[in-house]
Amino acid sequence: MNRVILLVDDDIFQLRLFEKLLTGNGYNCKIALSVDEAELILRSETPDLIISDYEMPGMDGFEFRRRLLKQDSLKNIPFLFLTSINDKDNVQQGLDLKAIDYIAKNTPPSHILSKIDNLLQAVREHYERSLSEIKGIAERLNLRNIPLHAPLLKHFKIDYFNQSFQNQPGGDFIDFVKINDRYTFIILGDVMGKKWGAWFFSFSFLSYIRSAIRLCVYDKNYSLSEILNKLNRVIHDDELLSDIFSTLSMVLLDDELGTVKYAGAGDLPILKFVENTTELQYFKSEGILLGFSELGDYSELEVELASNEELYIISDGMIDFEINGEKKSDINLFKEKLFNFKQNKETTQTIKNRLFDKHVSQVDDCSIIIIKKV
Amino acid sequence: MNVKKQNIEDLVLLTIVDRDANLTKSENFKEIVFKEIESGTRKLIISFENVEYLDSSFLGALVAILKNLVPKNGRLTLIELNNDIRNLFELTRLDKIFDLKNSLDKAIEGFK
Repeated sequence: MNRVILLVDDDIFQLRLFEKLLTGNGYNCKIALSVDEAELILRSETPDLIISDYEMPGMDGFEFRRRLLKQDSLKNIPFLFLTSINDKDNVQQGLDLKAIDYIAKNTPPSHILSKIDNLLQAVREHYERSLSEIKGIAERLNLRNIPLHAPLLKHFKIDYFNQSFQNQPGGDFIDFVKINDRYTFIILGDVMGKKWGAWFFSFSFLSYIRSAIRLCVYDKNYSLSEILNKLNRVIHDDELLSDIFSTLSMVLLDDELGTVKYAGAGDLPILKFVENTTELQYFKSEGILLGFSELGDYSELEVELASNEELYIISDGMIDFEINGEKKSDINLFKEKLFNFKQNKETTQTIKNRLFDKHVSQVDDCSIIIIKKV
Repeated sequence: MNVKKQNIEDLVLLTIVDRDANLTKSENFKEIVFKEIESGTRKLIISFENVEYLDSSFLGALVAILKNLVPKNGRLTLIELNNDIRNLFELTRLDKIFDLKNSLDKAIEGFK
């Protein structure tokens, strides 16, 4: 993904010159002829770097920088001055405003480009180091919202795949709760949001889900609708989760009878592949998002699954596509794609590779669980 | 987040100007609407006429807005959702909790 640089300068000639230099070297540029224009762009875009002139009519570059520093969402965007006013006092004043650098406009373009490349590389490396440290801590604490293995069952084969958005921890979560040789619960949820915030809250949902299942099962209660109703009430009453919402698909496999039950909360329909049909079938649950209302009114349904038939549980990222720069959510496109893979007798691994191909633009966390009757 | 505000009698119409309603904008949008509710607005219409794509973070923000408004006896209507977004609401049963209308006129009529 190309990194975005916001260029601010009242001299259109300079702007175009630097825009050409940067776009020619793989950056995306947004240009602004004034601080007002720049602030308008910043209302809808978060660039990776801001490069600003100092002397501009109206608000100058220092004032622009001061305004940015007052805003939590903008103050940490790397900022550098690129200007022809280069006396010592100005340079010092610019650097005192936490600008990463103060570059003279007459610096050779190749030097400016190298400085920008190095700067963004350093930011990226610092970010990746921090991410890797936090991931390491999470692993050591055994904090996982995606399990390491699926349970092995007699009548069902379970595969699952997850790819978080921009390779950062995300809000999709998967869990398998094997109660005994007979019953296994399969869970796929999606905390609304992305990245760290969603990741953090996914553990609250996972804990509640595991507890609700265990408490019902202790009472020999395997009703998915009752589990979801209880779960929903607890989440609804939890103040910490008052404006955090999650979808949930819950499937109960009976490995003795080979039956499948399903209930859901604001989730996408589960899909089923049957040979010699023209499209994937789908099963829609009735429940609304967990935690929105005290009474979620969840119901369950039995899904018949014959040998070699497959069920697919998916998160909403699977149906989001970016085509020619336009993003869209389209379940029919996903159904068609998956159906064609199955028609062509592709293996599960190939399907996974094709669905999670790094060249396919991904715009959200993506998860899929495949349950095959064997 | 670019949002246009218009008062229509006792209704407030908020039109999202951006094409992409996503994570980077959802918190800011929620703050704008929460402020509107705090200032006393109880009849709210949000127009998606410019929005081409909406992600789950933004959906979460909308649900939080509705959950904030309902106990205050407020009402929220969403209008002019494109087919993809409307389908997403239907697929995830959000159409059960949100009042969705095709046009501003229909939304205003619904508030009467």
